[in-house]
Amino acid sequence: MLLEARLHDGAVFRTETKVAEESYLTDDFLRQLMNVGEVDILVGLPTHNNAKTVGSIVHTIQSGILRGFPRERAVIINADGGSRDGTPELVTGVSIDDVRPASNLQALRTLHSISTKYASSSRSASGAFRTILAAAELLRPKACVVMSPESANIQPEWLSKLLRPIFDDGFDLVTPIYRRHKFQGLLITNLLYPMTRALYGLRIREAYSPEFGFSGRLGSQFLGQNVWSDETEGAGVELRFTLAAITGKYRICQSFLGDKDRIERRAVDLVPALRQTAGALFSALEPDFPVWSVVTGSQPAPTTGSDQEVLLEALRVNRKRLREMFLAGIAELESVFQSILSPSTLAELQSIAHLGEEEFRYPAELWVRTVYEFAASYQKSVISRDHIIQALAPLFRGRMFTFLTENRNASAGDVEKNIEDLCLVFERLKPYLLQLWKTRE
Amino acid sequence: MPLNRDVLWYKDAIVYQVHVRTFHDSNGDGIGDFQGLEGKLDYLEELAINAIWLMPFFPSPLRDDGYDIADYNAVHSSYGTLEDFRKFLGSAHDRGIRVIIELVSNHTSDQHLWFQESRSSKDNPRRDWYVWSDTDTRYKGARIIFLDTETSNWAWDPISKSFYWHRFFSHQPDLNYDNPAVREQMWNVMKFWLEMGVDAFRLDAVPYLVEREGTNCENLPETHDVLKELRRKLDEHFPGRMLLAEANQWPADLRPYFGDGDEFHMAFHFPLMPRMFMGLKLEDRKPITEILQQTPEIPPSCQWSLFLRNHDELTLEMVTDMERDYMYDMYAGSKTMRLNLGIRRRLAPLLDNDRRRIELMNGMLMSLPGTPIIYYGDEIGMGDNINLGDRNGVRTPMQWNGGWNGGFSTAAPERLYAPLIEDPVYGYPAVNVLRQKASEHSLLNWMQSIVTVRKSTTVFGRGSIEFLYPANHRILAYVRRLGNEVVLVVNNLSSTAQAVELDLRRYKGNILIEMFGKNIFPRVGDLPYLLTMGPYQFYWFRLRRI
Repeated sequence: MLLEARLHDGAVFRTETKVAEESYLTDDFLRQLMNVGEVDILVGLPTHNNAKTVGSIVHTIQSGILRGFPRERAVIINADGGSRDGTPELVTGVSIDDVRPASNLQALRTLHSISTKYASSSRSASGAFRTILAAAELLRPKACVVMSPESANIQPEWLSKLLRPIFDDGFDLVTPIYRRHKFQGLLITNLLYPMTRALYGLRIREAYSPEFGFSGRLGSQFLGQNVWSDETEGAGVELRFTLAAITGKYRICQSFLGDKDRIERRAVDLVPALRQTAGALFSALEPDFPVWSVVTGSQPAPTTGSDQEVLLEALRVNRKRLREMFLAGIAELESVFQSILSPSTLAELQSIAHLGEEEFRYPAELWVRTVYEFAASYQKSVISRDHIIQALAPLFRGRMFTFLTENRNASAGDVEKNIEDLCLVFERLKPYLLQLWKTRE
Repeated sequence: MPLNRDVLWYKDAIVYQVHVRTFHDSNGDGIGDFQGLEGKLDYLEELAINAIWLMPFFPSPLRDDGYDIADYNAVHSSYGTLEDFRKFLGSAHDRGIRVIIELVSNHTSDQHLWFQESRSSKDNPRRDWYVWSDTDTRYKGARIIFLDTETSNWAWDPISKSFYWHRFFSHQPDLNYDNPAVREQMWNVMKFWLEMGVDAFRLDAVPYLVEREGTNCENLPETHDVLKELRRKLDEHFPGRMLLAEANQWPADLRPYFGDGDEFHMAFHFPLMPRMFMGLKLEDRKPITEILQQTPEIPPSCQWSLFLRNHDELTLEMVTDMERDYMYDMYAGSKTMRLNLGIRRRLAPLLDNDRRRIELMNGMLMSLPGTPIIYYGDEIGMGDNINLGDRNGVRTPMQWNGGWNGGFSTAAPERLYAPLIEDPVYGYPAVNVLRQKASEHSLLNWMQSIVTVRKSTTVFGRGSIEFLYPANHRILAYVRRLGNEVVLVVNNLSSTAQAVELDLRRYKGNILIEMFGKNIFPRVGDLPYLLTMGPYQFYWFRLRRI
């Protein structure tokens, strides 16, 4: 046994200073991690002012752990972005005893919930994710999962669905599949999924998700990557994580979770969302060029659970407004588009802008060329990268209008077929992106 | 060393449980006997124990290892004579060792004269000494305890053409405690042994003495009345003697067996034992602190009795289904290791013969509130033989040396009541008393050391307990306190090194003295007291304000 000789002068464990200059974990958090020790399951919960929902989310997580992993050592790591509504206190205050009586569940072990404020500019959740990965690095879990603090319909079973493939089958990344409304997640179905699939050759439906599972070794590898610099902080680090798993040839699968929130709990601005998704994807193309440039076609990812099938109930969407914003963008951003798009693509966009509402269509092929040209321009940095992403927003709205129109009366099968067709266009036109890339060089 | 006169002697006792049959055979017939046991009292005195609990040694057909008694007032011929017992008892007392014997009060053997008379005729005066019925449908609320062998608590007696009640094996008919004559007779049995000088009784299967329709026939008020009556007579005629209850129940159900200090002096804490094993495997103090939190206060004159292993299976009756499944998976991978609702294994094999874990478990046994019981052979890390049926695998001959029959008997090996353990790891050539006595760092010498340290203070047997809850859940820490005497116990349940910060502010100014090496540790200040602990390490610190 060693006795800490400096104990009485108080120099060692009671300061709030960081352990080293470059450390982003506080001593207090380290001390909490020390007390938790090695675990089997780590649940990461990034939060920022989520007091309204986080209590029930933690209950659900605890219930999921008790049901799915009653024997395993588990910890909930709350990485908070400086909430002022008492979110961290709610997380750590939820008692396992509140869960047990209602669910007739029993915990064999101590279940820890610890909270820390992550050191970040809070532009995004990347600081939270980095903190969660750092905790995982120190606690050596077999399997980790990140859960959203906002999911209204999170179920206890989601934990098992995201963790079991890692725990039992040796997968390194488990991405979710949700049952969504056909008009939900359009950024995913019209850009992120088809482009990721075309570039990297793996059909991962939700490459960017607030809920996913991963192995300790993948987390450790990603933590060591140079993706945490100020320049890239905030740029869809979760997506970059998925891409790192693909390029690192880690074992990836998808797991069907169930219904996704039908209504977003808070309106998400399109531009920040594009930054997180398209921006992250575009910026990954340069370092990942050796991988994606040699990929042709795509392969399905192993999937557990039911097939997703879109929901069809009537949903009121203001399509007219989308088209108006597209038209305004075409009119106001012509000079920006000139530096991003090829003359022919810009001409076609201007041409469809003259179509009436009934005739308006933003064809898949034109959309794919648009996206590829934006990606290449992003890499060339012809103008500020943030301006490029902002310029994509009105065009995406035009594409949304078309998707909504084309699928207004479509069955679930039809919607899926249309998404698949778009994916195939992305794959077919991939040589065009390569050509743009070479032109750049 | 004379016996101490303290009527609360059982609170400071270290009990050694042994079956006379298993310990030492003095006459070469292959069966241990009282002369053999007496010959080994020096060994027990060296081990520093101060009480022996003997399993049943009475005449018996031995269909349940002596718990099927055919005569309460005699000694089974295999083990010697009443005179041999008297001599053994005197020798034990001369060494300051008290003797606890079994009182199997709930039932007898079907070979007992009482039952033979009872079944002989419905008019026999002893007919009502047992529980008879014309049907087997009474007392449906009573569970079957020996699930592996019994299908009903009623058995058909072809002689008297009636059903008789039995909570255990069908060859063990239950006595009828509604009959005053039975109660009087049982007191006579106690008196017989008390007058001889026996110090205490372990009352077997006490929850089941009385049956009532519409109940589970356990822990009934009428049962407590019977027990209180026996206690009253004991205090009146034999003050300073002790009653120990075997009642495998939840703590809250056990509490009534202490009454207001007017029923049992001691009772086994059954639910704690499996949770100690569980906490060790989980590397988490939760199972242990939880059950002790649920343990009610008991009267000042009463005491819990703690054990790690005994002659029975490691009972898992007092755990949840989930906990039982966990225990089976962790400690009884092979189904042959399981019996009834338990695990029929000894301490060392259960702990993979890991010396550190064996020491930690014994450390907790000796420092948690209660009187510890050491099962014979566990002090040298004896193994078991799961190929022997029932619980016989943990009742093999004591291993004294590496010679003929392990020094247990001069008989031909095939005449031994049970084969010795002979496997390479636990067999008597490797694990025996002689060898361990010669090794300074043997488990035996370590056990002697911890018993001695435990006996150096009465705080462990009589003090209060206050759990500390350091944030590191792998650390089980508590403060034992009696008057001004304070002992801090810190146990690392983990297989890896751990750091722990203890909130000892209320003991600010005290220095810590490690009780085994007597080394001094720094004074407690305002800050959390930081300890780093090796795998499965534990510390006992005496707190002194100097």
